[in-house]
Amino acid sequence: MTAVHQFHPVLAPGDAMSDHVFALRDRLRSWGHPAEAYAIEAKPGVSDVLPYRRLFRTVRPEDMLILHYSMGSEVFDQLVKIEARRVLVYHNVTPPEFFAGVNPHAAASARLGQRRLSELVPRIDLAIGVSEYNTRELTARGFAKTASVPILIDWARFDTAPDEAVLRAWSGPGTKLLFVGRISPNKRQDELIRLLAYYRRCIDPAAQLILVGAYRDQPQYHHRLHALARAIGVDGAVTFTGPVSVAELVAYYRSASVFVSLSEHEGFGIPLLEAMHFGVPVVALDRAAVGETVGGAGVLVGDKNIPAIAETCALVLERPPLRDALVAAGHKRLEAFATDRVAERTREVLGL
Amino acid sequence: MSVDIDAVLAEARARVQEKRASGAFGAAVDAALSAPLPGGGPLLTDELEDPVGALGTVLQEDIGYDATSRRRIVGAPVTFARKSVISLIRWWITALFERQERVNKLVTAALVQQRDRPSPGYDARLRKVEEALAARARDEVAADLHSVYFQARFGGDEPVIAAQAAQFVDLFAGRTRVCDLGSGRGTFLALAKERGIGAYGVDLDPRMVEHASGLGLEVVADDALAHLRSLEPASIDGLFARHIAEHVLPGELVAILRELRRVLRPGSPIVLITPNPATLTVGAHTFWLDPSHRRPIPPELFRFYLEVEGFVRVSLRTFEPSDERLNEDVPAGATRDNVRLLNRTLFGDRDYAVVGFAPEA
Repeated sequence: MTAVHQFHPVLAPGDAMSDHVFALRDRLRSWGHPAEAYAIEAKPGVSDVLPYRRLFRTVRPEDMLILHYSMGSEVFDQLVKIEARRVLVYHNVTPPEFFAGVNPHAAASARLGQRRLSELVPRIDLAIGVSEYNTRELTARGFAKTASVPILIDWARFDTAPDEAVLRAWSGPGTKLLFVGRISPNKRQDELIRLLAYYRRCIDPAAQLILVGAYRDQPQYHHRLHALARAIGVDGAVTFTGPVSVAELVAYYRSASVFVSLSEHEGFGIPLLEAMHFGVPVVALDRAAVGETVGGAGVLVGDKNIPAIAETCALVLERPPLRDALVAAGHKRLEAFATDRVAERTREVLGL
Repeated sequence: MSVDIDAVLAEARARVQEKRASGAFGAAVDAALSAPLPGGGPLLTDELEDPVGALGTVLQEDIGYDATSRRRIVGAPVTFARKSVISLIRWWITALFERQERVNKLVTAALVQQRDRPSPGYDARLRKVEEALAARARDEVAADLHSVYFQARFGGDEPVIAAQAAQFVDLFAGRTRVCDLGSGRGTFLALAKERGIGAYGVDLDPRMVEHASGLGLEVVADDALAHLRSLEPASIDGLFARHIAEHVLPGELVAILRELRRVLRPGSPIVLITPNPATLTVGAHTFWLDPSHRRPIPPELFRFYLEVEGFVRVSLRTFEPSDERLNEDVPAGATRDNVRLLNRTLFGDRDYAVVGFAPEA
């Protein structure tokens, strides 16, 4: 059986990228392939990850080396010299424009990430985009052989009891607008805060905004979001949860009234699907890969008209038939992302 | 049940409008929606658009480094080692850093000075190019030729203009706001007034405007396209333009037609008269008697322009037969047919009109 080695510079618990790597590794093992995950840095809380230096001596020419790409690293330049079947899985690099004026380090690293990606072109045998949007970018960068395969999501991990403390804290009245994703300028949490201001003044004075996601990587933006909430008088109604456990995440989804996304750039958008999984209606701005991930199972809005998007959320919530139809469409949509189905597709594309 | 997303979005927008009207969505909410993100520049600004300004911000950025390692057991020695290395090379790094900082500041200052400094050589060259362009535009139409002499020699055969105006004026019967582009001495306007048709003129030549105004006619001094652009949608109900089209470039003519579609009320007639280049003595000779003529417009092309710009019931009419013709009084048969063909080709009608209508709403 072909041995499959996966690499991503950082593997961390609760990170979509890492979850994908581990889910794929487990599948590969269940099919009988020797499979390992490698990283430069394994954050505390993940286990069974090997240091990337081992790749240079363990990989044999008949093996498969899967490089997951979401950030630039000089290590990629070295890894693509290893003789093996080299596959790139592209999770997208957030374009540097989103960090201009906010986080120059992130902007520089994004620029580097984009440039290094182009340099890998001649050394990659197959480039996989996790969405059509990503695959288009791969083609534009000159990768010859490409395919689109969605992210492998291990839905079974959500079969866990929701965190009681979170459920209790959010059991009160008032609309709960939820967004899940790292605090990052491309996800436009600032616009969500403005949307909340409209919602509280024109629709429901008790409305709350819950922003689930880590903020350590974007301290400047996080700080400015707090300042914005204060400046427009909604600081008591915005909650930044920081990183959460699976049980807490489940509890937030269970508590939410509606999932709202004003993100300008997503390479895939897993939380959109998670919201559908938990029966939360989705209202989202149609940008980057958001439209193809939602796939008609939510309200997609083309124009960034914040008042109209807020009123759309309200309409969905006050009309049970509309809400139910969206939730039903969401459940139907998830069939396309069922773990077994995506795993089979992955296997087929990888030729294993 | 399938969801009609468009209907939901339309309803949401209607609700926003209602709240606007009722005052619930007022200035306070607007202020919140447009509040800038505090603490720095706005998101998604391209710093390359204002590189000098961005340089200023970049120079003020603080770049910190935390030498502490959080790894278990080896963490403390790693931290110690890093800090030792830093303290050993600090004076050197600082010297390098300060020199680079000075270089950066000098470069920024030099750039700012360069940007704001007048550049006489460049300005002089630019002025030359602009003058050459303007001269070229004047030369193209011999704008310096005194039009008084020109008019005296070739221009404005008054009876011809009157006859053409009379031929089309009835098409505008009952209209209240017909525009005559290039109204000249006001021949068409006077006739329209006589017939009780509301009409006004536009002419580029202030002397013509003065003359026509003196006759009690409404005429404004303006460029044809500029005038049409200044009009409100559906504000006129007819257009007459005699010998205008050949004075503008094809792109301008299309722009005029496009503006006309906007400013004409549905069903309004338009009449554009121009020399007929299908008559070769016109196309090859008399057309060029006026140096301000840009290029002849074949009738089929003019018709096509109107049709593609959305005018309906478009038709062509030719008139003004040539004075000189070959004698057709020859024996019937091939010779007479040939003479007739030559007459049509060389000595046919000298002007033609393209007539069309703005479509009914």
